[in-house]
Amino acid sequence: MKYTAAEQNLIILSSIPELSQKERCAAISAGKQSGPDLAACKNSLIKRSDIGVYNKVEEDYASPAFRSAVLEQLEERGIECVTLLSAGYPAALKKIPDPPVTLFIKGRRELLSKKMFAIVGSRRSPAYATANCKNFSKELSNYFSVVSGFAAGADSAALEGADCRAVSVIAFGFDYLGGQANAALLKKVEQVGLLLSEHFPTVAPQVYLFPVRNRIIAGLSEGTLVVSAGKKSGALITASLAREYKRQVFAFPYNMGVSAGEGCNALIRDGAALCRNTGDILDFYGISPPKDGGVHLTDDEARVMEVLREEGEVFLPVLANKLGEPPYKLIPVLSSLEIKGLAVRLGGNRYSVL
Amino acid sequence: MFSKILSYALNGLEGVAVEIETDINKGMVSYDLVGLPDTAVKESRERVRSAIKNSAYIFPITRVTINLAPADIKKEGSHYDLPIAVSLLKASDQLLVDTDGTVFLGELALDGTLRPVTGLLPILISARDKGFKRFIIPASNANEASYIEGLEVYALGSLKQVIAFLTGEEQCAPIQHRSYVAAKQSQNYNYDMSLVKGQAVARRALEIAVAGGHNILFVGPPGSGKTLLARCIPTIMPDMTFDEALEVTKIHSVAGELSEEGIVSLRPFRTPHHTATTVSLCGGGNTKIRPGEISMAHKGVLFLDELPEYSRHALESLRQPLEDKKITVTRAGGAVTYPADFMLCAGMNPCPCGNYGSAYRECTCTPAQILKYRAKISGPLMDRIDIQVEVDGVKYDDLAGDTSAESSAAVKERVERARAIQRERFRDEKEGMINSGMGEKQIKKYCRLSTECEAVLKTAYESLNLSARARTRIIKVARTIADLAFSEEIRPEHILEAASYRSYEAGIK
Repeated sequence: MKYTAAEQNLIILSSIPELSQKERCAAISAGKQSGPDLAACKNSLIKRSDIGVYNKVEEDYASPAFRSAVLEQLEERGIECVTLLSAGYPAALKKIPDPPVTLFIKGRRELLSKKMFAIVGSRRSPAYATANCKNFSKELSNYFSVVSGFAAGADSAALEGADCRAVSVIAFGFDYLGGQANAALLKKVEQVGLLLSEHFPTVAPQVYLFPVRNRIIAGLSEGTLVVSAGKKSGALITASLAREYKRQVFAFPYNMGVSAGEGCNALIRDGAALCRNTGDILDFYGISPPKDGGVHLTDDEARVMEVLREEGEVFLPVLANKLGEPPYKLIPVLSSLEIKGLAVRLGGNRYSVL
Repeated sequence: MFSKILSYALNGLEGVAVEIETDINKGMVSYDLVGLPDTAVKESRERVRSAIKNSAYIFPITRVTINLAPADIKKEGSHYDLPIAVSLLKASDQLLVDTDGTVFLGELALDGTLRPVTGLLPILISARDKGFKRFIIPASNANEASYIEGLEVYALGSLKQVIAFLTGEEQCAPIQHRSYVAAKQSQNYNYDMSLVKGQAVARRALEIAVAGGHNILFVGPPGSGKTLLARCIPTIMPDMTFDEALEVTKIHSVAGELSEEGIVSLRPFRTPHHTATTVSLCGGGNTKIRPGEISMAHKGVLFLDELPEYSRHALESLRQPLEDKKITVTRAGGAVTYPADFMLCAGMNPCPCGNYGSAYRECTCTPAQILKYRAKISGPLMDRIDIQVEVDGVKYDDLAGDTSAESSAAVKERVERARAIQRERFRDEKEGMINSGMGEKQIKKYCRLSTECEAVLKTAYESLNLSARARTRIIKVARTIADLAFSEEIRPEHILEAASYRSYEAGIK
């Protein structure tokens, strides 16, 4: 990968582990034609550590050996860089107050040039929320690149649903991906979708990096859908950032008292758009999806769907009671509805409509 | 002065005749017992001495040599007391009768009464097959012996009675043959399906599992009735035939766990605790190799509650017997093969806190914890569990429309009909094959799928995230569901239902 000298300056700046995001921005804004000016972050660096560190940073930045080593390491790992100065840097992200200096990416670069939409949620999402999330993500991926995190639960469902249009924003360096619980899914995203991080590959995971990462998810996207969020959920951080950036926030509605949805309901109260189906989102962006014939249902399936729609969530014996059928006769029907993506099985033989 | 008496040694379920040779000579007073006796046999000397004395005979005080031939087989157990005592009396000329061809078995009490012995049934069957006809056994073992035809078995109460019988002073009739049918009717299970309230899905899954001989896993929160469901499995299994009952009784006899009845006519239900070791599950032991829980559950049910809590090693050891229906245990003392044709029923919580999927309580586990918990059970073992079903997470009392539950007898009838269909289908195959035992070859031959079914299976496969292994298991279970519905061909709804019993694994990915 060839980079211009100006791009290289930013890549090197992003690869110096001692510098913080703020200091990098300061260096860039103080910079002139020749590139970022490290002197701008001298005071803050000395305040955090000492003059020795600053001297080392300055030395590294200037050293050709360090520079070529960085570029070589990135080349080796197959990582591309998109800097603030690069042509391909997403315009939406550039608009936020502190855009990442360099995006380290792995996968299909062209996904960055599409319009993007974020789908986020908590790790402990109810089964119907994750199932819905997957369906939504699948449908929206026809019009957007779907941006999400990489945790289990809602984020994973969003990535799965978007398949080859999934963009996963990682909160640390790519070297630590293998240790993640859903490493297999991330491997797939790397192959068919896109992995993105603002950190040099050797940066280890830290708790505080996650909320910072959320600004990228919100910043990349035209809008953000929150499929599930408890009272304290990372998804709420993403949502409030999105609002700050003047992007539309959508949220799934929940029953009162469902802890996994308290955050979502709070968002709706505070002005987020209530999202009943993908139409609610597509309408907002003026997209009209082509009409399809809908899914064909057999008579039995239609009868079961009727009760499911009425009840929302139903326990199998109760359903059997309502329809006057022995429960075992409904098992294949529900199984078929599940396969068609119209119902989802919750724990303990309860089913929910999607 | 020399005498020879017959007895029998058992190794596993197979045995060999043992000749007890006693030689009495003049010389220093001594008592030598040779021929690889274990401690129980060596200690017989004191019991024999007292029993002879208390039966008003004289224990020879001179040089006595007793040999248990063949000398290279280990002799274990206490049933050599009686033959040794008789042999001593013969060698010391206190008993002058012909005992050729009679096999003696029995443990002596100090006062000369006969105590019951373990493993009598396998001894009698093995000896009968080797051509022995006449036996003298303890009276308390009479029930056990009475189910075997074509033998002349005398059950006597004491050493004195044995001598009186041998000399003809006392008459005794051989044990009457008892029919198995009568014994079967006298025994009953303590559980019944009608005790299970609600659990419509689990009941249905259980019926399918038993009809096709599939292993089953119940997943549900603590206290949701997994154990009760499992206990009902034997009640809906087809009755044991006499041959099956004999096989089971043999194993229970060797383990010394036979009841008064003398025959096991109810299908065994074994629930080893989750601290069970590999050896206690599979069998083993220092000198005598005892059958393990899987053999004790032969022709019945092995119930492993809290499956992930068992040691990995113990669980993995089940894999091979689940395929082969038998286990060969090899120890320093030799190798023994015990049958182990059992139905595996397992119970587990859905997650470490147990509330995943509950309608009432919130699960506090992280996805990583749940994955870790479920990963304790290896893929190959899960492969052998065809049906995974969730028990209801809702209390049935909370629901309207309580209808009285079906009894075991009604379910059993349907199971037996489905088994009859399978017997007919597999008449050219290995004897006793049922749907769960089908290999790739049989699946190709007996489970042809229509294009419609193939399409359903394909979509199910994609949308439910099933593993490649799941396919054959779904087809096998679908075959059983079709059998229960008297359907010659497998229909799409059968495939769909079968697929729904696999979704627990699908969640793991």
